[in-house]
Amino acid sequence: MRTILRVNMSDLSITKEPLPDKWANYGGRALTDALVFTEVPADADPLGPDNKLVIAPGLLGGTTAPNGGRLSVGAKSPLTLGIKESNSGGQVAHSLARIGIAAIIVEGAPADAAARYVLEIGPDGEATLVRHDELAGLGNYATVDELTKGFAEEGRYSTMTNGPAGEMLLPGAGIAVSDPNGYPNRFAGRGGLGAVMGAKGLKAVVVNDAGDAYLEHTDKDAFNAAVKKFAAALREHPVSGTGLPTYGTNVLANIINEAGGYPTRNFSSGQFEGVDGISGETMREITVKRGGNVKHGCHTGCVIQCSRYYVHEDGSYWTKGPEYESAWSLGADCGIGDMDSVAALDRECGDLGIDTIEMGATLAVYMESGKLAFGDGPGALSVLKEIRKGTELGKIIASGAEATGKAFGVTRIPVVKHQAMPAYDPRPIQGIGVTYATSTMGADHTAGYSITANVLAVGGTVDPLKSEGQAELSKNLQIATAMLDSLGLCIFVAFPVLDIPAAFEAIGEMVTAHTGKTWGADELMQLGKEVLTYERLFNTHAGFTAADDRLPAYFYTEKLPPHNVVFTVSDEELDAVFDFVPATAAGMGIS
Amino acid sequence: MRIQLALFASLTQYLPETENGNRLSAHAQLVDLPDGMTVGQVIDRLGLPDEPRIVFVNNRHAPDEYVLDEGERLAVFPPVAGG
Repeated sequence: MRTILRVNMSDLSITKEPLPDKWANYGGRALTDALVFTEVPADADPLGPDNKLVIAPGLLGGTTAPNGGRLSVGAKSPLTLGIKESNSGGQVAHSLARIGIAAIIVEGAPADAAARYVLEIGPDGEATLVRHDELAGLGNYATVDELTKGFAEEGRYSTMTNGPAGEMLLPGAGIAVSDPNGYPNRFAGRGGLGAVMGAKGLKAVVVNDAGDAYLEHTDKDAFNAAVKKFAAALREHPVSGTGLPTYGTNVLANIINEAGGYPTRNFSSGQFEGVDGISGETMREITVKRGGNVKHGCHTGCVIQCSRYYVHEDGSYWTKGPEYESAWSLGADCGIGDMDSVAALDRECGDLGIDTIEMGATLAVYMESGKLAFGDGPGALSVLKEIRKGTELGKIIASGAEATGKAFGVTRIPVVKHQAMPAYDPRPIQGIGVTYATSTMGADHTAGYSITANVLAVGGTVDPLKSEGQAELSKNLQIATAMLDSLGLCIFVAFPVLDIPAAFEAIGEMVTAHTGKTWGADELMQLGKEVLTYERLFNTHAGFTAADDRLPAYFYTEKLPPHNVVFTVSDEELDAVFDFVPATAAGMGIS
Repeated sequence: MRIQLALFASLTQYLPETENGNRLSAHAQLVDLPDGMTVGQVIDRLGLPDEPRIVFVNNRHAPDEYVLDEGERLAVFPPVAGG
């Protein structure tokens, strides 16, 4: 029996409820969406008591499904002002699922805004709120050190922590999730959910699942067979089996740069002359030379192993191996081509608890204002340190790219629905532009990763410089991604799934054997459509219209070198991406 | 003809020996080749492993049959992805 843990911060009560039958097949993003859609008024103040922070492992969380330990965190976003599902690796999803928790709902707001609470969840699922005001203002690393002193000897634990940016209610803030070694270096980073956690007075969640076993399955033998089939496909595919484990996600730097879509100096060029200094190849070389770890999973059961640790010259831990998006945002987008400078910025973002994509884009906008030179790594670090001090500059910066652009008179601000674009320029890679424009999440690459067919020749090929086929590509990827996010599978499984039929079959077989209900391709895709339908309806209720499903105007008029192209997908094509929503909503009985 | 040749990730090791001055970056260098070679012929000549690869000429995807010309840039990647 999966349960919902309801934590009310107004009266500090905690109750356990059975997961409603109608949502028995939901987990992860589907469940956070269903709960936010049902319980949070679309016009709620994102930082007020009516908003709810919902935390949910996927449907396969707590099992041995390869790469099945992703965590969904949902709420109304203080950044986009729409619904948000921010997806994280780390160990918490498995920890929660193993003790039978389908979701945690954190609601209300504490009477004393200065209070800091820690939600402690024991191996039996028993939860308590403990006041820890002494943790106020601590960075994520110091917070975890303090919190886990008492747990370290008791066995397995995992944490979600909120850094100073979230405590200050700043809309760039994310929530840190601990990795298998306890480092708070995985993130539900996007959309300002750290600010929602801060508004609830919740400094941390600690889950101790010592002694709990993996979950039982309806058909154990069939489940294990499907796991074996799925793992074999992940190992067989060259991307998940070789490229990602060897170089990490930052292996993308050179190929996106080669394709002319690597946004440089606030999206003013598609190629960065300093890419060699921050590429995945260089990062691996430096890390190996210094004795750092270059291959591990961000959660147990990961077969791909794309995580790594970036270390100081003496070999000591500095930060997680910056992901492609972070190395780009804090590197190329700011004109910074030095890996140690990027690592220093990544570490500061991680400790402050702030989204690296939003912060890199924000620093680039700030640089364009003339307040700081492009390429000034130490200067960028000084600006980030203003956030911890709580200065006016720090608060503007931590409010994101749009707020910073407006404050400093910059007109070229690369955001959609108030959220900064990630590491692909939508002009020479038009498929990702469709996803940025239409995603319910604001500009988000993971929502529908069209880079696959546009650049990487995974799942077919679609010419990235042309508009033809991009809307259909993005639509299908958005549906499939919403499904994977609900099962708790890492979206990197999509690379083999798009190319190897057995990998896709194995997903249905795992879910069928686990739940006892038959899951084929139709049921899996229906799940994805239901997820997107909740999100589209919430955003419509919150006031979003077709005008919000567009890129900023300059992407249609300013040509990007080296290809010298603009974004050309038509409004009609963008507006057709979610054409399935009315029928799906009618079938779900929601409006 | 002289072209720019760029090989990335696990393929970088196949960059041919070169004189000083021809190296452009960690992954790219100038190479002299007989006129009229195709992408596929260059790949064979380099001895790249027989596995899927992603090929760009002048920052656009190109097939193995593409005939290279003086001054063009050929870039070859093994299958990579991330995000």
